[in-house]
Order: sequence, then C-alpha cells, then structure tokens
Amino acid sequence: MSTSTEAVAGSATAAPGKRIGELIFALLILSIGIVGFVAGAGIQTPPSASDIGPRAFPFVVSGGLVLLGVCLVVQVLRGATGAAEEGEDVDPNVKTDWLTFAKLCGFVLLHAFLIVPLGWPVAAALLFFGAAWSLGARPWWRNLGIAVVLALILQFSFAELLGVSLPPGFLERFGVFGG
Amino acid sequence: MDNFLALMDGFAVATQPIYLLYALGGVLLGTAVGVLPGIGPAMSLALLMPITYSLEPTAAIIVFAGIYYGGMYGGSTTSILLNTPGESASIVTALEGNKMAKAGRGASALATAAIGSFVAGTIATVLLSFLAPVVAVFAVQIGPVEYVALMIVAFLTVGALLGSSMLRGLASLGLGLFIALMGVDALTAQQRYTFGSPFLADGIDVVLVAVALFAVGEALYVASRLRHGPIKVIPVTGGWTKWMRKEDWKRSWKPWLRGTFIGFPIGTIPAGGADVATFVSYASERKLARGENKLQFGKGAIEGVAGPESANNAAAAGVLVPLLTLGIPTTATAAMMLVAFQRYQIQPGPLLFETNGALVWALIASLYVGNLMLLVLNLPLVGIWVKILQIPRAYLYSGILVFAALGAFSVNFTPIDVIILLIIGVFGFFMRRYGYPIAPMVVGLILGPIFENQLRRSLAISQGDPIALISSPVAATIYVALIVIFALSFWLRRRQRQFESTDIDSTPSGPANDEVKA
Repeated sequence: MSTSTEAVAGSATAAPGKRIGELIFALLILSIGIVGFVAGAGIQTPPSASDIGPRAFPFVVSGGLVLLGVCLVVQVLRGATGAAEEGEDVDPNVKTDWLTFAKLCGFVLLHAFLIVPLGWPVAAALLFFGAAWSLGARPWWRNLGIAVVLALILQFSFAELLGVSLPPGFLERFGVFGG
Repeated sequence: MDNFLALMDGFAVATQPIYLLYALGGVLLGTAVGVLPGIGPAMSLALLMPITYSLEPTAAIIVFAGIYYGGMYGGSTTSILLNTPGESASIVTALEGNKMAKAGRGASALATAAIGSFVAGTIATVLLSFLAPVVAVFAVQIGPVEYVALMIVAFLTVGALLGSSMLRGLASLGLGLFIALMGVDALTAQQRYTFGSPFLADGIDVVLVAVALFAVGEALYVASRLRHGPIKVIPVTGGWTKWMRKEDWKRSWKPWLRGTFIGFPIGTIPAGGADVATFVSYASERKLARGENKLQFGKGAIEGVAGPESANNAAAAGVLVPLLTLGIPTTATAAMMLVAFQRYQIQPGPLLFETNGALVWALIASLYVGNLMLLVLNLPLVGIWVKILQIPRAYLYSGILVFAALGAFSVNFTPIDVIILLIIGVFGFFMRRYGYPIAPMVVGLILGPIFENQLRRSLAISQGDPIALISSPVAATIYVALIVIFALSFWLRRRQRQFESTDIDSTPSGPANDEVKA
C-alpha cells in the first residue's frame, strides 16, 4: 500500500509539476490547520462546562496540523518528496493520465445529479458505462450490457432483498426493484 | 471454564445452517477481494456497510469476520501468481513466492501459504479465545487516564511508525481527527467546524469518508496510472494433492509455527498491524535457514512464504484482541469492524464480553469455522481465484466506483453525499499520489471521538490538571512502553535498510523489495 523508501529518496525522480502539486497539498494541510484554529476560537463554551470544554481538543488537533503542515512545506521545499503509492495495477513508468481522472470524476458527478430524476439503476448503469469507457474498455455494447445487468442486480439485491431504499425510477412499475 | 462453555454456545450459534451460509458468503467475498488488486478487506467492509441496515447483528458480524479472515488468504494468491507486487500485508510473500512460481513451484507456494494460514489462523484463534476474556477482565478496571494512554499509543504507532514518512502519517491522522470533530459536540451540544452548514451539523458520516478514501481514491489513483496490456498470471499445474512434496512439509512446519508465535503477539499490542509481523517473520526465517536452503532465499525459498503468511494471519487474529477488549483498532480493517459494531449501537470494549457475550463468542466461533472453509476454498478451489485475477481492470474499477456510489447514497439517501464522496475521494487520490498513508486518517476518524471523550473525562476527574494523565502507574508504564516501541522500531528500520541494501541483487526488479513496512 505504501513504500518504505524514505521520503528523501523519492526526490530524484519526481517531476517538477508533481513537486508543485505536493507543495500545494502541504499548504492545504497547513491552511486546514489555520482554519481549524480560527474556527476553533469561535466555538461557544457553555459556562456550565465542568471539563476542558468543547474547544480544547479542536485546538490541539488544528495546532498539530499547523505544525505538521509547516514541517511538510519545509520538507517539500528542501526537495524531499513523498513516495507515491504503488499497487499491482499501477504502472510506475507511465505519466499521470489526467484526462481519465477528469472523465471518471465527471461521471461520478453526473451520477449524483441523475439519481433523483432518473432513478438509481439508470444513474448507476450510466456511471459504470461511462467509467468503463473512460478506462478503455471496448466494445461499447459489451460495456453497456454489463452496466445494465450490474445495475439491475444491485438494485434488486439491495433495494428488494436488503431493503435499502434506492429510488427505482421507471423500474417502479415492475414491483421487484423496491422503492 | 465459563469461557469454554460460552465458546461452545458460540459454536452452537455459528454452526446453524443460516450462519454457516453467512460465514461462507463472507469468506468467499473476502478471498475474492483479497485476490483482486486494488480492493482490500478494509475497502470491502466499507463498501458492504449498507448490509448493516437490514441484517441482524450476528449475521452481519459473521459476514464481516469472514471477509476479514478471507482477505488474508486471498492476498497470498495474488502476490504468488501475479507478476506485480501485492498488498502490503503479503508483500514479503511475493519476495519468495513469486520466484517459486516462476520456477514452476507456484503450487507448493500456494499450498504452504494456505496451510500455513490455516495452522496460524487456528492457533491464533485459540489464543484469542483464551486471551481476550482475560484482557477484558483487566480492561474493566482501567480508567479514562489509562485509555487515553493506550489510544495515544495506537495513534502514534499507526500514524508515525507504519508508513514511510512520519510527518505524512501524522498529518493523515490529524486530518482524520479534524473530520471527526465536525458536527455537534456530544458533551455540550455545541456546533464545531460546521461553518453554518446544515449538512455538516450532523458531521460527515464515517462510512462516507471511508468509502471515499478507500474506494474512490483508489479507483481514481489506479485509473490515472493504469497498467495496460494483458494481465500476466503465472500458471499453476497439477492436482492439488501433489502440491506439497514431503520435503516441502518438512521445511514448512517450523516456519508456520514460528510465524504464528511472531505474528500473534505483534498483532495484540495496540501498535502493530500485520506488516511488521510478516517482515519480522521473513527476517528470522532467513536468519535461521542453513546450508542449501539459505542459498535459496531470494530465489524462491519455501520458508520465506510459509513463515510470513502464517505471521500475517496470526497477526490478523491478534488485532482482534485490542479491538474487542479495549475498543482500539490498530489497522484500517479493524477500524471498519469497529464501525460495523457501532452501527448496531454496540461499543467494543471491556464490557463487550458481558453485554454482548453471545455475539462475541459467535464471532470467535465463526472464525474457527471460517478458517476451515478457507482452507478448502484455497486448496482445491484455487483455480477459481486465478480466474478472478484476470478480470479486466476497466470493469473492476468501474464496479468499485458504482459500489462506492451506492454506499454513499445509502448513508442518508441524498445525492449530496455522492458529491461529498467525490470530493473526499479526490482528496484520497492526492494523498496516495503524494505518499500520505490512508489508514491513519481512518483510524483517527473512528477513534477520535472516543479519544476526546476519555480525555475530557480524565481531565474532569483531575479538575483540569494535565499531570494526572501521566501520574497513574499504569499510564506511566504504557508511555514507557511507547518509548520502547519507538526505539525498537527505529532499530528495526535500520536493520531493514541494511537488509535491503545487501539484498539488492537477489530481489526481483520493481518495487517488491522496498515495500516492506516496519
């Protein structure tokens, strides 16, 4: 899941773009800490509180994040970048495919907006179809077939058998897909 | 003796046909997700959390226990037969197992892994049955101060020791704690970090965050650098009864037992996880090997599969001791088990054996049953799993996204949760990209509220005096132990680095050799 290559060792191979991204991420952690600190000051402490109150622990956590964020920013600026995660299906020798990344995010977003108007099965089938296409599965009719079957099986087993109320959309009239 | 009777009652429950069926379903699913790259047991528990809405607790916990154990078996198949390194807990297995498979001895490697997992799993479950009630009796007596100490140990070891970069691990932990703070404070009913949004007033659901980080983050990350081309699986030949030669048995049984007794204790201390155990086992097998066998290390020594695979399973059972008796999860998978209990308003901890004895003993009994099922599933039926390994990756990761969306939507039945899923998932993508481990964040998220509660109770008792946190003898001992653990871990890391640098020529190309976490 992750590697033991020391953070320092990753610096030689990291692309400049990735270093900037990593710097932004470290700054993001720092700013979450700062926001946490500022927002923490706004937490009301009821006078009746008999303990350290609801503010103390948020301060500890955001303080820690600020400290870690500063250390991480310094570390990245000094050239020590993190070792990206590895996995069986991850090709360490290819460039990041941002287009596929964006397509997948887009299809998840589309899915979120389609659940209510079209029902869960249609939205889910579209998500699968779109994601499989983005990831390079061909031909399209096979992707579509698998998408439809998967969505129907999930709708049936979760909505009908397990009683999870997924909106069935137009399938409602068939009666076996919950609702 | 009472515990023995309770265990027998547990068996009476777990062997009812319907529960056997649930256990079978769990181990099947667990092995499948263990085999499949990209899905781990933690992710599958997160994805299956919706079943807790309709299944009764015993059934759901038995399914989850099956997934938990099954995942441990499945991982070895992947790392032995697939030409690329597998999950962290079974990486060490890939060192020797993959070499064995390439030399045409994949069947022996699979067999020693499966039988070793069974031996270790069974012995470790016996140890769990006897140890857990004893620890629970002890745990009832400890107060909030000691709890705070134990949880700090868990936080720091999971956050700082298990990953490659201490800063990144701790930052990940901090982010988990931060998200856990969002919502209404349980003690004073004050809103914290809700930024005036009604969606944040209830906090962000733990399952939503876990599914987003594990499933969406992983799918996006793999998709961005997907390995294209055919999936190279090393073929296995011959009937399974002939897989272990007499010599293989002779060379395997000692590593199995040693792995068990290395793995279980490391799993039990609230500071471990399976990765450390597999590495320690591998290193000791390598050291203990003599003559001809020693020369085989790095080229496919069976001891290097037998030991770590046993250690891995024994550690998985060991992790259940702090989980069930103290309510402290030390791995991401254990954290998801804790969430499953919480879904039923059951809080694992010292009182669990008293308040939900029947459930816990049914769970433990189902581990024995599940282990036996897994042995059968992984020896004669290993061919099925080899086929699963070849699922086209485009479909695999699309399926993961669909399941994640399902899990997210079913939290509150609002599409907004799917959008939150995507946002946190993208965050998880960048965490992977920049080397931030995911497990500390999930552990922080789940343990954070419990920790704060105990911390505030401690300080309420001491009237705000922080010295009270370290002045109790038990707590002080725990902090000393923490220092020892850190010292030991730094020593281990140095050993490991030496071991890796002397080993560079004999280990497979690719990242397999530097994948061990200590």
